[in-house]
Amino acid sequence: MKLNIYLTGVGGQGLITFASVIGQAAVDSGLRVTVAETHGLSQRGGAVDVHVRVGEAHSPLIPMGGADVVVAFELIEALRALPYTNPGTVLIANRRLIPPAFRGRLPKPEDVEAEIKGRVAWAHFINAYDYAVKLGNPIFENMVMLGALFALTRVRELISMDAVEGAIVKVIGKAVQENLKAFRLGYSVTSARL
Amino acid sequence: MANCTVRFMLGNHAVAHAALEAGVAVAAGYPGTPSSEIIEYIFEHAGETGTYVEWSSNEKVAFEVAYGAALAGARALVSMKHVGLNVAMDPLMSSAYTGVRNSLLIITADDPGMWSSQNEQDNRWVGLHSRIPVFEPYNPQNAADLVKLSMDFSSRLNHPVIMRLVTRVSHVREPVKVCGFGKPIFASGYVKDPAHHALVPANARLLKGELVKRWEEVKALVEDLPHEYVDDGSTLIITSGVAYRYVKEALEDLEVKASILNLVSPVPVPRKLIANAASKADKVIVVEEGDPVVEFQVKEALFDEGVRVPVYGKAEGLFTMVGELTLINVEEGIAKVLGVDTGRVVNHQQAVNAPPRPPVFCPGCPHAASFYELKIATAMARVKPVFSGDIGCYSLGINPPFNEQDLLTNMGSSIGLGMGVLRGTGGRQFIVAVIGDSTFFHAGLPALVDAVYNKAPMLIVVLDNRYTAMTGGQPSPTQVIDIGAVARAIGVKHVYTVDPFNVNEAKETLRDAIEKVKGGELAVVVMRRACALEAVRGRGALVVKYTVDADACRACGICYNLLACPAITRLNNGKAAIDQAACVGCSVCAQVCPYGAIKPLGEPSGWLSKWGEL
Repeated sequence: MKLNIYLTGVGGQGLITFASVIGQAAVDSGLRVTVAETHGLSQRGGAVDVHVRVGEAHSPLIPMGGADVVVAFELIEALRALPYTNPGTVLIANRRLIPPAFRGRLPKPEDVEAEIKGRVAWAHFINAYDYAVKLGNPIFENMVMLGALFALTRVRELISMDAVEGAIVKVIGKAVQENLKAFRLGYSVTSARL
Repeated sequence: MANCTVRFMLGNHAVAHAALEAGVAVAAGYPGTPSSEIIEYIFEHAGETGTYVEWSSNEKVAFEVAYGAALAGARALVSMKHVGLNVAMDPLMSSAYTGVRNSLLIITADDPGMWSSQNEQDNRWVGLHSRIPVFEPYNPQNAADLVKLSMDFSSRLNHPVIMRLVTRVSHVREPVKVCGFGKPIFASGYVKDPAHHALVPANARLLKGELVKRWEEVKALVEDLPHEYVDDGSTLIITSGVAYRYVKEALEDLEVKASILNLVSPVPVPRKLIANAASKADKVIVVEEGDPVVEFQVKEALFDEGVRVPVYGKAEGLFTMVGELTLINVEEGIAKVLGVDTGRVVNHQQAVNAPPRPPVFCPGCPHAASFYELKIATAMARVKPVFSGDIGCYSLGINPPFNEQDLLTNMGSSIGLGMGVLRGTGGRQFIVAVIGDSTFFHAGLPALVDAVYNKAPMLIVVLDNRYTAMTGGQPSPTQVIDIGAVARAIGVKHVYTVDPFNVNEAKETLRDAIEKVKGGELAVVVMRRACALEAVRGRGALVVKYTVDADACRACGICYNLLACPAITRLNNGKAAIDQAACVGCSVCAQVCPYGAIKPLGEPSGWLSKWGEL
């Protein structure tokens, strides 16, 4: 058993926390897990990615074409993640476009979504940013995305909801109620649309 | 052990925890990606153990602090990124000659792929160069195990040991077995022994002989390290570090069999073990992260031992010599030698492509304000400077709209290279050296001394944001030593300190300093304002944000084009808008707006003066 979850987004969106919660929950569920992170200069608003591998994996990095699941915290970064997908990949994207410091034409969100849909088995878009703002702080965006991941993918068969919620408490430690709320909201709004 | 538990940990934290378990008494380092979390973790727990830990002013000093402790007989470690080891090379070479009294663990975190570095040097070479053994772990648990092993190895031989980490060990998070901290092993006193500790030539000649002998001892002892060997077929794959992980998965994916020998010590390699394993093989493949350090030694060993078997690796172009190994790259190399197909199809064809997203200055970053002011001031003074840059967050000043980092090579290079361009152009080129506070203390100080001593007419701008920001906001000597006072004490006549958040005053100050340089003098401008990330941390409630009055905005674009603050966006009608979630209330955009269209949502002076206290 091996589940490759490729995370992508913009520095500061909370990808490392997201990955740490899954990792901790996997460990607490008795699973093997490896997480490879991006730190340093690229964090300053640049593109970041995190590789999460649950189960019998050796390499710390997911190979191109090897992601079972892509969680994209931003639309342009979802596009950049496509080489990691294959025709069986489930891709969950935050319907949020953060313009990069780039002088040129940006792709239109609808074109991005169409491109993604044509490349993967199943693409799901969620307005995680808006939900997080409704909860009082965009910082909760990552937990809304985590809820969507659990609603949509077989990660739920490996890691129980209780294990994730326990990991949220353990790993994040602050604003615990709000983070749990964001996670549950992401889960319920995504489940409701299935 | 009863007090052990499995914890999900970052590789660097596993390293630090293991060192505390093993009784490290003195730990020193200088921040640098991907190494910084090691010393940070020791700082968090030093109070529990009584370990002495410091962020040093640079890697050479850090090395000397740990080395001196180990000469006294304490258990010591020093930690840095790969290029930091260059700074520490002088004492490092000596440490092999003198040896140590307990253990000295030298941790270098290499950055293959240059995620946050100016080069991807492989510091395993340093082991061969200095005759210091190098141990290389492949995952966080293995790193924890090897920390203890290498400290014991070091104290057994009274010789330093290098541990080579890479990004994909340091910044990988996995379950690690952790136990209680040990009692730190301090020396009870320093016993004088100048014959071994004072490297005057007469002593050094004798010690070189001892070193050569000790190196033979090291070579013999590395044969017995817990190298992992899997005997499974006539192809032998020799690995070191994280390459082991890629090879294991590649063999599974390719569904082929091969024997694997993973080395604990890539320097020196266990020659006999390798010769034995290779004598049973019909071909040998060496997979390693970085340069062909193991491969060269394997070839030498097999030649000497008379084992004739083809050896393939990086030297044959089988695996990439630029950037990190990847699973696919390792699979392709192995498949090529074995004559099989990887069966991988990766589809890179995209109709819509992602535009690049380079890192940018954070909202409210004082560096962005400083670069803006420097650009305006130099333009108004009609000078066309070469901006001699340096290493830190402000390296991002290389990007538009600033374009103010023309040279950028190594820590502290801004002043030295600037002087070189000045001298090389017969004094014709106007030089602005731009350096951060931590970098100034790290390697800028001797260069500033040189600039005073040799009378270099140039402008030195110190971007003093009060922290070692790029590596995660570690403290910086500027928090206790005033840079302006240092510059004056060294003998700089024209020293200014200004707040980049006072835009007009900063521009005027820079203009004034530029005139002094035009007049043939050296000037130093310290632009002092704390890192926005550090200012906001824990003080978010105090922030007074800014907003754009859409009626007053004339869509001139100065704010979003010249400041490039990520919180400011250009609307379709050309007017500006401020993202309220991102704005941290630095006030700079409001000051540059010629139409007064950007206004605070409250009284801003309290927040700005609070920020100014840092």
